[in-house]
Amino acid sequence: MFVNRLASSAARCIPKNKETRAAWITSLLLSIGLLLLPHVFKLDGRQHANWQQFLGRFHPLAVHLPIGFLVLLPLLEIGGAFRFALRETAGFVLGLALAACLGSIALGYLLAYGSGDSGAGVTRHMWGGITLSIGVLICVLARPSWSSGEVPHVYPILLTAVLLTLVWTAHQGGSLTHGTDYLTEYMPAPLKRWTKSHVSGVDASNAGSFYARHIHPVFDANCVACHGESKTRGGLRLDSYDWLMKGGKDGAVIVDGDPAKSLLLQRITLPVNDNHYMPAEGKPPLEPEEIAWIRAWIQQGASPSIANLDGISIHEEHVAEPLQPVGDYSALLPEIHQIDGAQGVKIVPVSSKPSDGLILNTVDIAAHFDDAQLAKIQEFAPYIVEADLARTAVTDASFDTLGKFTHLRALDLAGTAVTGAGLTKLAGLTQLTYLNLSGTKVTSAAVAPLGSMKNLHHLYLFNSPAEPASAMNAMQPIARNVQ
Amino acid sequence: MKQHPFCTDCEQIPQVMDLPIAESVKQQWAELETRRNFLGRSGKVLGWAALASLMGERGLRSEPTATSTTAQHKTSSAGEFKPPPFAPKAKRAIYLFMSGGPPQMDLFDYKPGLPALYNKDLPDSVRGGQQLTGMSSGQARFPIAPSHWQFKRRGKTGTWISELLPYTGQIVDDLTIIKSTNTDAINHEPAIMLMNTGNMNAGKPCLGSWLSYGLGSMNDNLPTFMVLQTKTNPKQNNQPVSSRLWSSGYLSSEYAGVGLRSDGDPVLYLSDPNGVDHVVRRNMLDAVEAINRQTFAELGDPETNSRIAEYEMAFRMQTSVPELVDLSKEPQSTWDLYGPDAREPGTFAHNCLLARRMAERGVRFTQIYKRGWDVHVNVTGILPILCQETDRGCYALVTDLKRRGLLDDTLVVWAGEFGRTVYSQGGLTADNYGRDHHPRCFTSWMAGGGVRAGITYGETDDYCYNVVKDPVPVRDFNATILHCFGFDHNKFTYQSQGLDQKLTGTTPASVVQGLLA
Repeated sequence: MFVNRLASSAARCIPKNKETRAAWITSLLLSIGLLLLPHVFKLDGRQHANWQQFLGRFHPLAVHLPIGFLVLLPLLEIGGAFRFALRETAGFVLGLALAACLGSIALGYLLAYGSGDSGAGVTRHMWGGITLSIGVLICVLARPSWSSGEVPHVYPILLTAVLLTLVWTAHQGGSLTHGTDYLTEYMPAPLKRWTKSHVSGVDASNAGSFYARHIHPVFDANCVACHGESKTRGGLRLDSYDWLMKGGKDGAVIVDGDPAKSLLLQRITLPVNDNHYMPAEGKPPLEPEEIAWIRAWIQQGASPSIANLDGISIHEEHVAEPLQPVGDYSALLPEIHQIDGAQGVKIVPVSSKPSDGLILNTVDIAAHFDDAQLAKIQEFAPYIVEADLARTAVTDASFDTLGKFTHLRALDLAGTAVTGAGLTKLAGLTQLTYLNLSGTKVTSAAVAPLGSMKNLHHLYLFNSPAEPASAMNAMQPIARNVQ
Repeated sequence: MKQHPFCTDCEQIPQVMDLPIAESVKQQWAELETRRNFLGRSGKVLGWAALASLMGERGLRSEPTATSTTAQHKTSSAGEFKPPPFAPKAKRAIYLFMSGGPPQMDLFDYKPGLPALYNKDLPDSVRGGQQLTGMSSGQARFPIAPSHWQFKRRGKTGTWISELLPYTGQIVDDLTIIKSTNTDAINHEPAIMLMNTGNMNAGKPCLGSWLSYGLGSMNDNLPTFMVLQTKTNPKQNNQPVSSRLWSSGYLSSEYAGVGLRSDGDPVLYLSDPNGVDHVVRRNMLDAVEAINRQTFAELGDPETNSRIAEYEMAFRMQTSVPELVDLSKEPQSTWDLYGPDAREPGTFAHNCLLARRMAERGVRFTQIYKRGWDVHVNVTGILPILCQETDRGCYALVTDLKRRGLLDDTLVVWAGEFGRTVYSQGGLTADNYGRDHHPRCFTSWMAGGGVRAGITYGETDDYCYNVVKDPVPVRDFNATILHCFGFDHNKFTYQSQGLDQKLTGTTPASVVQGLLA
């Protein structure tokens, strides 16, 4: 029904007199011209005339004009229902919007064509702009029949579609300028989980290599904004090892074992004011040590898998996985106060943010704190991120209870009577990064299964039968990565 | 306006209510002035005190409305564990204070170019009009004195360390060495006050008091903040260290550091006097407390409550302190690590061992003072002794904390109040020299909770005189320590004398991000 009505009303938009027919033909030709533009002047990743770039760089400025006009338009149309003068203005603004759209497209195309941009993001933004312009063009044609009341639905629907296209296109353009994670970078962690994770050039085949740890992050931070999937200037992509080795329009940028012949290294070591210097456009230069890493890496074969380079030592930090937020315990606080008051333990917040969790601190009554008392606390187990049970009277029987502390990040059992029987019950504690078994009776056989706990980076076995022999020497710290 | 009784030419004196000050302050003044208000408040306080003794402290605390109205009248707020604004990396700190000012170019800040400049004058352009102390202001020239000792690359990080510190050399991969620490003061007292309290004038709370105030205690049976003095060596130039350095300033006195003596009773008057047993002592304390509560009800002075809390803490310390200082159960591996010095109370190594035991028992802040670094003369004679006394303790403490899994959340800090000059004070001979105070650069280090291990931060010029890269002024140093404990130094304030006081003072300070893990 509705579709039929819409079709018949669309038919009524078809021009009847000579002038409007001329307008339709002009619009049709213009649209075809817009659609053919990318096929005639292909974005081939090569730079073209300087004047094109000069004009093109006004695109990010000019592009705000059509945005402003198009956002104003529906407001004027709605306001026009109450004040007729606004409706007349709307027609004028629509005309301006069309002119501004066409102007922006021209500048934008000059920018991409002139500076040799290509890539998926550039293509999306370009087609968005073209679609938008054609949409505005049709709006211009459809509006008279709407304002005269002949065809009531087509123009509002078209306008809505145009506005949605505008949002999408503007977002594509913004991502090109500021990088794809600009909007999400400081998004609160819970929201972040819903957005797509950042694509990195590191995969299973090269994980842990020097390239993955030190070379790729440099490119990622400094280069892929222009040499990535969404914008591929000069046809060169640096967002993965394969793309890097493939090179750009001017051929390979890395020559194995020969830094001097590697175009990439040449470009980043030119004088800063050289036209060909990279990173271009006033972006911050690479750090001298980063350049040194890249040079050494090329020198020693530019391998994707080599783990360390001769002569390069970099102090590396273990990158902590993002902590899982803990549920809000505020409602349980009276109960928590009651139990810690009764037992003499302290169950205290990590920080004033409830999602940081609670700490169980038993130092005041360590000698009297036993398995039964720990069991009484298990009601709050999911909120406790740190349990300090050092020198308490807990035994192996408590591993059952501790297995329920699902958000536990640190567990200190130093100086207790545990022997390690039941340590496997901690396997479900995926957040556990710190386990202190110093001064206990645990054996190496008992701690062996802990090796499967991926996040357990700090295991302390000092003064226990499980202490590695080499560490008996006081020079050797016991902290080690069990992985 | 009323007339001042002794003033003949000025007719009137200003009244508080007419002064251009905040309404809230006037309100407080008005409340204090009204007799009815004063009496009313006293009555309420007495009521709360009675309630508190009936319910026990915890009963009061679990009632949020009650705590908010009585916050300032509570007996012991230090006993309460308070969460910091954001998740901290460090739970406790051990501050090794090298009083006197260690010479950075003889220990950490390697300057290979100096030997070539031996006995040459320090260029005026480098000194840049730097203020001199009274000790070297009379000198006709400032001859450069290169370090008498060799430096070696140590650890995986290849950090240059003086041969005077063979043990510290073994832990360089765990240290965060700051070569660009600098201060505003050139003499001991203002410099040591600035380092500890953020202000050159006495009367401000020190870092340990701020942390006690902000975080509260982890262990009810030991003070939150303890101070250990190292026995002085008469061969060294020992500058006085006073209790002003661990004072709580305008914070309640329960946040002040508690000193442990190096010999005899660790805490004076802690043990029961002859003929007084534990029960008598308890009864006496209960009676004193009752009298103190009466005093508080009458006068409303919060210091009375601090006194009550201190008596209670002292009573609990009667059992906890002897256990703390009893090293008989330490395994052999401890003595292997800390060395033979550690068996003798009062040595630096012994204090380091005590500091580790305090860390295990949840003492928030332990500060060890080692005096004697004020090497104005005879550096080659005295510096090796100083290093020999402290080097192994530092190494043993960091290593011990690390192997016991405590270094993850304990911040260890090593610093003096300033550095020393590259030019010789007094005569420069082929094998000896003296060094004067130098505020523009000195080396400090941190290790553990929250800081980046294995880095060297900041650089000084070739003369080890001026900072050329990444300066860390004292206020930034302290802001960074507070950050490790989960505090924003700008928001961590205490209102006193009409000002939101803070550790880092009024000059803008910033957290040194480059030091953080």
